[in-house]
Amino acid sequence: MASNLSNTRTGNVAQRLQKELMDMMLSPSTTLTAFPDDENLTLWTATIEGPTETPYAGLTFKLSMEFAPTYPMTPPVVLFKTPIYHPNIDFSGRICLDILKDKWSAIYNISSVLLSLQSLLGEPNNSSPLNAEAADLWDKDKEEFQRKVLARHKTPEEL
Amino acid sequence: MSGSAYIPTDEELANLQQLSREYEPEVTGPLVGERQSSTAITTEYANADPVYRVKTAALPSKYSHFRTCRGDGNCGWRAIAFTYFETLIRLGDINKFQDEKTRLQSMNNLISSIGYSEDIYEGFQEECWDLLVALANAIGNGNAAQVLLENFNDMGVSMNIITYFKLLTSAWMQTHSADYMNFLLGQTVKSYCTQTIDPVNSEIDNIGIAALSEALLKPIGFALDVLYLDRSPGEEINVIHFGATENDALSLPYPRPTLRLLYRPGHYDILYKAEDIEVQQPIPSQAPLHVALAAGYTDDFVPMDSSMSDVMTMIPGLYPTGLGQRWPSAPYDYDPIPTPQPQPQVAPVPTYAPPPTAVAPVPTSHQEYATPVPSSHVNHQHHSTHHGIQLQPPVSLSLNHPPPPLTIERGGPFRPSMYELEPGFHSGQQHTLPFQTSIFRNSHYNTAHFLNPDFQPEEWSPDAEYSTSSRSRHKSSSQ
Repeated sequence: MASNLSNTRTGNVAQRLQKELMDMMLSPSTTLTAFPDDENLTLWTATIEGPTETPYAGLTFKLSMEFAPTYPMTPPVVLFKTPIYHPNIDFSGRICLDILKDKWSAIYNISSVLLSLQSLLGEPNNSSPLNAEAADLWDKDKEEFQRKVLARHKTPEEL
Repeated sequence: MSGSAYIPTDEELANLQQLSREYEPEVTGPLVGERQSSTAITTEYANADPVYRVKTAALPSKYSHFRTCRGDGNCGWRAIAFTYFETLIRLGDINKFQDEKTRLQSMNNLISSIGYSEDIYEGFQEECWDLLVALANAIGNGNAAQVLLENFNDMGVSMNIITYFKLLTSAWMQTHSADYMNFLLGQTVKSYCTQTIDPVNSEIDNIGIAALSEALLKPIGFALDVLYLDRSPGEEINVIHFGATENDALSLPYPRPTLRLLYRPGHYDILYKAEDIEVQQPIPSQAPLHVALAAGYTDDFVPMDSSMSDVMTMIPGLYPTGLGQRWPSAPYDYDPIPTPQPQPQVAPVPTYAPPPTAVAPVPTSHQEYATPVPSSHVNHQHHSTHHGIQLQPPVSLSLNHPPPPLTIERGGPFRPSMYELEPGFHSGQQHTLPFQTSIFRNSHYNTAHFLNPDFQPEEWSPDAEYSTSSRSRHKSSSQ
């Protein structure tokens, strides 16, 4: 399947990622960045800013993105590299977000993934939490939640 | 997995549960298979429960062939996409491929309006353009069917095209949300599309089929029948129609080319009727099919070409211009030794639900001419056509079911004569045929003329002489 895909227009993952990089450089966002690894175009490092008026406001989070040869027919593997306290993100940085799993669509791209993650920070899905304690605190004790977020956070320099 | 030590057990279990939910067995077989006899389906269900057995036993008589699609979670999307291109090939009109590209391109504003910029989807779209071009070229070489099959068995190509069709469906639904919101059980159209249409591994459902049919198939006059093979009571497989219907007044091919899918819970395959797979003569681009069917076409001259696939086009009464205008061309068509047209010539008609009246073939095969005419009018035209039997031998023979009722109905001591075969005459100006003119009566078009191949000496009948119009009025109203 992978070899078949690489023969075709969008199947060529390198070409596609090249194009996405170009697009992101041409219209840079102030709250998102994403760049490929120097040696491997299918490994990217991205950052997102915590949305304002959320417990994550003012914080910057680093993520890794890994693209399979089948991208964009399969989603990238996205992990939070910055430790984060969030109902839908576990302590290894794994994310529970439907569009990164069974609801992935081939018309999503790096920007739309990062935007979705940004909005996940402000609007967790507390009905299926990976971190049950965080989900509980989000609803019951925002101050304690905020304290835990800041306690766990590390700046990029500290990583 | 170094981090797994930090994961509480219940989360691990949740993960496992998630994994098992997502697990799908490795599927095998070609993405789209070769066409094969549908008796294979009957055989497959020979030992199944009786409902399936009965339903599948009846299948091959109506749907002679089928084609498998790999059950990889996209088979419905792939089946529709494949048959869409296959139906374009079946039409055999090279220009149509370019037309389709232009039409689909014009729908890009729909996609833009739901917030996707062209550079996200142009790759998928171009895959579709490339295939249209490749197929148009392949039609000339006669290997279009093979090119299509090869392309669709390339996972990359078929997924790109499916992705594009999904996007089209999504855009159509979101820009026509009023048509769909009532079917979504409270879900918004936007969230339905995100959850059900857009995802890569999400099979098409009925709502998706309806939307894709509206966006992709209906505008070019294609219909889509989905046969649902399930345990519901009944002896036949239920059919649901999508796409263009008989009533859509589109200046498009008629009968509506129909895509057919067989649905078995969770899976779609492609079905064919025998007539779908008749080898069509490729139509060269300088004489595309739609020229002969264009709405502005007037019936000046229809060559009696034996390669003409549809004899219906030669029936003068079908044209709004009326039978009278047909006369000047009659000498060209005249064939003193009529060859009966074989019945299969009209075979495409039964594809569609046969209209209840005897005039069924007329509106079904030439909708674009018949629609503007009220149905009663069509009736008359049809019958006057038929009564030109001596004048249009090859045509009338293909339609020879109407005469018996007329003959029987008349009864009495008189044999049929031209005077009794004109029930349409009373209906108006356009039916003032030259039957009564002296020129006609003295010509060989008159059966009473000895040069007429159907020579029939006229018998004098006072009734016929003086009450032709009242008699025919009576007759036509009794039909």
